[in-house]
Amino acid sequence: MNPEEIKELKELIEFLKDNNIGEFDLERGDLKVRLKFAQQQGAVDMPALSANLSHLLAASQAHQMTAAPAHSHVAPAATPSPAETAASEDAGLHIVKSPIVGTFYESPSPGTAAFVKAGDQIENGQVLCIVEAMKLMNEIEADVAGEVVRRLVQNGQPVEYGQPLFAVRPR
Amino acid sequence: MLIDDPFDLPALDTALEGMPFAGNLHHFPTIHSTNTHGMQQAEMGAPHGSVYLADEQTAGRGRGAHEWSSPPGSGLYVSVLLRPQIAPADVLWISLAAGLAVQSAVRQLTSLEADLRWPNDLLFGRKKFCGILTELNAEVTRVRHLVIGIGINVHQAQFPPELRDIATSLHIETGRDWPRQELLAALLKSLDREVSALTLPQKAAEVQQEIMARLERGSSWISGKAVCVEEAERFCGITEGLDSRGFLLVRTPQGLRRVLSGGVREANGRS
Repeated sequence: MNPEEIKELKELIEFLKDNNIGEFDLERGDLKVRLKFAQQQGAVDMPALSANLSHLLAASQAHQMTAAPAHSHVAPAATPSPAETAASEDAGLHIVKSPIVGTFYESPSPGTAAFVKAGDQIENGQVLCIVEAMKLMNEIEADVAGEVVRRLVQNGQPVEYGQPLFAVRPR
Repeated sequence: MLIDDPFDLPALDTALEGMPFAGNLHHFPTIHSTNTHGMQQAEMGAPHGSVYLADEQTAGRGRGAHEWSSPPGSGLYVSVLLRPQIAPADVLWISLAAGLAVQSAVRQLTSLEADLRWPNDLLFGRKKFCGILTELNAEVTRVRHLVIGIGINVHQAQFPPELRDIATSLHIETGRDWPRQELLAALLKSLDREVSALTLPQKAAEVQQEIMARLERGSSWISGKAVCVEEAERFCGITEGLDSRGFLLVRTPQGLRRVLSGGVREANGRS
């Protein structure tokens, strides 16, 4: 598992903890992730987290990731499930959606810094990412001011019309 | 290489009478990028139909990190600002229609039949002479504005060695110089026809079908072409037409793939 993907999983765990979500399940193909949080202080229940280890390792090979034994108890970063999106809306987070079908880019051009990252404070109208299709570049702007809680898609990933891109905590 | 081929804006205003471009043309001897300028002007409230053209771009852009070589006076570098009444989900048709508009303008002026490489590159043989990059500002339910940037190689008699095998110009193809003014007028008229059709209420499906039919007729790349596609992961296969939204389909050993963004190149070719 590469550092980016480990970071993504950590962000997902933080996001779930911040919103006091007790359990989180994700199923996609043969990839299964189950996160269960102990209720005191929101600490992560590590035994539950590692329950589906064998599935995760199989999936991680499919994702061309190098298995790092020290981190083998964490899941590969995956597209958030509808459950997560629903949970984030439930928690009062604002979801920024894609107005077009296309490819998601986190930075203005390859090799440059991302427009925003989790934890950033953003203003209404600030550019968050680009969605490109048919050589048409759409700079997606924040339609709310607040804090970027999580990016919901991977750099370079195809996105559909209306697909959630970012979860933002409005201020 | 430098030839005297000025623009006469008042004459263009007259030629474009009745279209949103008349009275909205802006010319720059040199500028960073007509598209960047157009997007900035759009934010500041510039009207639908504003046109920004330059003799030279110092930071002309293509897709991704690609630059567009824009030496002084050698080409037509133009960006068109539109505020169309069209749903964001349908705005991609404008990107496809822009390529058809250039193809039509070049045909009217030179009688040459250019090839279209999906989504909207224009080529003669394996060499490209026109690139189009569109920038959009949209909400989920509404297009605020878009700027279509079009770069056409017109007067170049030759290209630097690194571009020689992949780039051409109207001059190289025909052995003569074509006035940019006439090319621009023909292009803007074609573009106006395309955009007007796409924004006709109740006609969307019909107009989209007609655009697909013209693409299939006017492009050797839509069906039966061996291509490789540079997306997040590279894949190769044979093109197999367009889907209902105008995306290119490619038959690969792993199944049928839909091309979202572009980066379509001939398999084993250099173009």
